[in-house]
Amino acid sequence: MDQETRIAWLVDHSQRPRFKGSLPDADARVPGGNPGCGDIITMYVKAKPGEDRIEAVRFEGVGCTLSQAAASILAERMNKEHPTFAEVLEFSYEEMVDILGRGIATSRPQCATLALGTLKGAVKMVETNRRLRAAGHTDEEIVRVRERSGRARSGS
Amino acid sequence: MAASVAPVADIADRGYAHPEVLVSTQWVADHLKDPNVRLVESDEDVLLYETGHIPGAVKIDWVADLNDPLTRDYIDAGRFQRLLRSKGISENTTVVLYGDKNNWWATYAFWVFKLFDVKNVRLLDGGRLRWAEEGRELVTAVPRYPEGNITISGRDDRSSRAFRDQVLEHVNHGKRLVDVRSPEEYRGERLHMPEYPNEGALRGGHVPGARSIPWGRAVNPENHTFRPASELRTIYEAENGLHRTDDVIVYCRIGERSSHTWFALTYLLGFEEVRNYDGSWTEWGNLVRAPVEKP
Repeated sequence: MDQETRIAWLVDHSQRPRFKGSLPDADARVPGGNPGCGDIITMYVKAKPGEDRIEAVRFEGVGCTLSQAAASILAERMNKEHPTFAEVLEFSYEEMVDILGRGIATSRPQCATLALGTLKGAVKMVETNRRLRAAGHTDEEIVRVRERSGRARSGS
Repeated sequence: MAASVAPVADIADRGYAHPEVLVSTQWVADHLKDPNVRLVESDEDVLLYETGHIPGAVKIDWVADLNDPLTRDYIDAGRFQRLLRSKGISENTTVVLYGDKNNWWATYAFWVFKLFDVKNVRLLDGGRLRWAEEGRELVTAVPRYPEGNITISGRDDRSSRAFRDQVLEHVNHGKRLVDVRSPEEYRGERLHMPEYPNEGALRGGHVPGARSIPWGRAVNPENHTFRPASELRTIYEAENGLHRTDDVIVYCRIGERSSHTWFALTYLLGFEEVRNYDGSWTEWGNLVRAPVEKP
């Protein structure tokens, strides 16, 4: 993809974001932010029942063109490929920069990787919640512990 | 111009020390076809220019164009000269900078241009937002200009740029420091948001003795232009005890917001000795044994 086409692709994702909006039955809802320039992304993740695999991803957010385009592109990829949790956690920031275009994304790495970092946080939350439930903790207890520690709240 | 927006007083009537460095949106509109005026957009949002810009404007990116790719520093005179010439800037060109975020990055670029002693550089008052809110035209066509002939002889950091040892000296001598970050950052309550990696500082707080004067206080939130000199004097002089002859260092997180305050103090109020500490909190908050104050 040449630079001009890539810029048009990113601007299109930013202006017509795919999979934007909340996911009411998400297993995790995790906010992320970039205080330097005010980008905000909230990632919603729903896992396939009984599998360590993504079923659906949606996002909400405001911010610069690159951060919002990256969230849309990432959500589109997740909803198409339904990767395992391990694959999401192994998805490197460098790979994300390559997808977006090194010539553009390397100058704003925090904007480029905000969505991916937030998605990884959501996947970790789903994994942790499943382990806690397997250990006998109720959803109310999990929410209480998270609120006490100041971490983002979990979904259902 | 179609949209109805908050009115703004003429720049000449606001009592600034150097009103010639600011131009209005109307001035820009009147000079869109002036071959001796080069509009330069400089944004936080790396793709904002591509979504639409003032007709004829070129783009200068603070990371890709102004920063050295290896060392934490700015490019040298040779590269800066090549950059400006590639944008069609000549000795007789009037450069007008503008950008997003109330001109954070435009004033940052303005400050860098001044390190290289570019004489004829100005700032669009109200920035990109004011232009857009007035309903003025934005286009996606990227202009091409013949190579310019400006000569850049060197970069002189002494008068407008401060380094960490000079900041420490300021602290030790009780000289004036201004922290332009948010009050939460000044108080050390916020370094980063939940679930997001720390942006680079290991300690929170502020440089001892620094006054907290957030950058945005210099801007009228209704119309995004700079406040008149009388209001700026109230903020910086009456409320915070700064004086025009003080030796002042301003800082923020990486030097972009503080370049906005550097601009206001230097050009709008006529302060004689203001330096921008671009190392700012990402350097100071990591510096071993650097003194930190937390209220």
